[in-house]
Amino acid sequence: MSPVGRAEGMARLRRVIARIEAESGPASERVVRRLPLVHAFDSALGGGLADDALHEIAPAKPQDGAAAMGFALALAAGFLNRRPASALFIGEGFAAEEWGALYGPGLVAHGLSLSRLVFVRAPDAALAFWAIEEALKCGAPAVVVGEIWSLKGYSLAASRRLLLAARKGKVPALLILASAYGQAERLSSAAETRFEIAAAPSARIPAAAGFDIPGPFACGARLIKSRLARAGPFVDADSPSKDGRSSKRPTDSPSEDGRPSGRPAVRDQRSRLQTHDVDRVIRLQWRSQDMTFKDMTFRDIGVDDQAISLPLAAASGDRSRAAARPRR
Amino acid sequence: MNIGLSLPDARARFPALVVAEAEPLEEAQLLTRLCDWCSRYTPLAALDGRDGLMLDISGVAHLFESEAALIEDCRARLASQGITVFIGAAGNPRAASALARFSQVKTAPEPLSDKVFVKLFHDLPLAALGLDEKTVADMARAGLRRIGDIALRPRSPITARFGFAPMARLDALKGLERSSIAPRFRPPDFCAERRFASPIQTVEAIEFQLRKLADNLVVLLERQAKGARRLELSLYRVDGEVRRIRIGASRPLNEARAIVRLIAGRLASPHEDAIDAGYGVDLMRLACLVAEPLAPSEAELERAHEAERALALAELLDCLSARLGARAVTRRELIDAHVPEQAEAAPSAMLGRARLRGEEPDKVVEAAPARPLRLFARPEPIEALAEVPDGPPLRFRWRRILHDVTAIEGPERIAAPWWRHTGAPTRDYFRAEDSEGRRFWLYREGLWGRETMRPKWFVHGLFG
Repeated sequence: MSPVGRAEGMARLRRVIARIEAESGPASERVVRRLPLVHAFDSALGGGLADDALHEIAPAKPQDGAAAMGFALALAAGFLNRRPASALFIGEGFAAEEWGALYGPGLVAHGLSLSRLVFVRAPDAALAFWAIEEALKCGAPAVVVGEIWSLKGYSLAASRRLLLAARKGKVPALLILASAYGQAERLSSAAETRFEIAAAPSARIPAAAGFDIPGPFACGARLIKSRLARAGPFVDADSPSKDGRSSKRPTDSPSEDGRPSGRPAVRDQRSRLQTHDVDRVIRLQWRSQDMTFKDMTFRDIGVDDQAISLPLAAASGDRSRAAARPRR
Repeated sequence: MNIGLSLPDARARFPALVVAEAEPLEEAQLLTRLCDWCSRYTPLAALDGRDGLMLDISGVAHLFESEAALIEDCRARLASQGITVFIGAAGNPRAASALARFSQVKTAPEPLSDKVFVKLFHDLPLAALGLDEKTVADMARAGLRRIGDIALRPRSPITARFGFAPMARLDALKGLERSSIAPRFRPPDFCAERRFASPIQTVEAIEFQLRKLADNLVVLLERQAKGARRLELSLYRVDGEVRRIRIGASRPLNEARAIVRLIAGRLASPHEDAIDAGYGVDLMRLACLVAEPLAPSEAELERAHEAERALALAELLDCLSARLGARAVTRRELIDAHVPEQAEAAPSAMLGRARLRGEEPDKVVEAAPARPLRLFARPEPIEALAEVPDGPPLRFRWRRILHDVTAIEGPERIAAPWWRHTGAPTRDYFRAEDSEGRRFWLYREGLWGRETMRPKWFVHGLFG
């Protein structure tokens, strides 16, 4: 098609869509695509990470900053896979001095393609927030990853601005709060989800003599907060999971079929979140070849695959046993 | 001098008469050719009887400033071909035909008021209604000779006596009934044309204009998301000849280049004669006879969307670079170098993607040693406990925290470039994981014994 034709085609389609919307009213429901993580989180996340919201990542301890960045990069790789656009990494200057700048060959090993990344270095947190907001509003990147060190300027209002910008541009934002060690539960912000990431030993490759060889990137993740969408259907193209496997106790009332809309659905979703154990740490391993996370908690039982029979899953998802298992 | 006079009578009236034998077949062919030629004004051109043409020029007059200018242009061109014409213009075909044949005043204004109708038409003979001769003779015997005679009379007796035709024709003349003409060729859905003030004669000029016509036609097609399946290029020469070239396509075309290529191919084929411009071509028209809807594929729409998004991204990067500085907005690029610090470059993002070497996706070579996600600009010194001469570190203290190494990969020996003669010490890199799961990229600087007796340890980067 010639450039004129392409522009004419887009204009014509926009007119058609405007006409449809004029007849049927504006789309009041937010239709989001979600990026599924792992089975254990997806039910509480409503299918996965929303495509147009703000997601926060906080490290558990001061030395876990690198793990938090690794997790965020893995999520960014997942988002990049979905859209043929570039990703923006906006970092406050101090975070780069404290923890090191992002290194190209390492990013490639993690599964990102360098030609689709742009790096922005902001001298302070205020400019970093400004840059993140601009990037979200314009709608062009596939994902925006921000690393903020100083939390002074980060309040409910600031996070709400970012959330609105993400909604407007339909770009997901991953915000790493590099200095929020251990404060993940105490933060108050308008983010849709919040993770707390801790370093976790990887799946070692056994060596013939001496020490084992460290395996691929692994971390321990805890879903602190998940603010689901308002009552309404969500469009999820890729998630294979239906809730009911991972974290439901047998006494919970089944609420599996999606009710069309209205209050009862919200209540069910909220109750679903409450059954999700906030203290439960899922050990995740990142496979850069498939761009997926693998839940490593089942390794204790000696089963590698997640698709195990229901009674066993219900038993392993039991809250009491999860708490008793020591955090590695 | 009337039509229908016999030859001796005509000779008697006008001794210097030139007599030529009638050739109805050739005349019909001439008329058809003239009709085709007149399609330069409008695609709706039809034959009208045995000696006339009917052209529907609604909407065409604006190309010629006014209808009178169009009529004059037509008459002049036909006169230059040696043909004398009487041209009548009115709001409906019947009236135009009547005016052209029988009237002195050739143009009727639109809309036609009753007074003007009376003035123009009431004096015309009944033959102007297009009735057959028998009916005209009958009505003449009844005393009805002019249109005015029957227009002012009540309708029912005339209808009862002579049939429906006279009054029906009269209604058509007044424009009370819509009548249309049956053009010779179906008007095309899309056409692009160009007129030339001075006729063009060379083949190169024709091809050049053809490219422009194809561009215009493609814009028209794309507005309705259609592609052309059959196209026709018409070249109207000044001497009245029309050359038409038709091509067909197996899939709907909407690219100008493809259209031009097909037409050029047709011209180059041995079955077609070369274009003979004669005295020049003064009108070229590229018409699409058959168009089919062209659904843009998903991929094309995605590419259009991507192009828009790329533009938005470029604007964003410009905005960020302006506020934060051009060096603050960078991309990363891999460089094939041993020394890790030099293995990547950070060109400014505003230089565009042209700077990036190799657009193919970076391949992760499985056998290559892993590199950390974050690299310190200045490696930080640590205190490490390791076997001499080149054992891996067992424990190390970094930023006042003691780390116990539980898994290690290495050593990877990276020596300074020997061709530089700088004498920098060799580095042995280790990828170490501690008991808590944090992974570091450590190195020992200096080979024990060969370069230094006290090798120093540094942490250069962090894995995820």
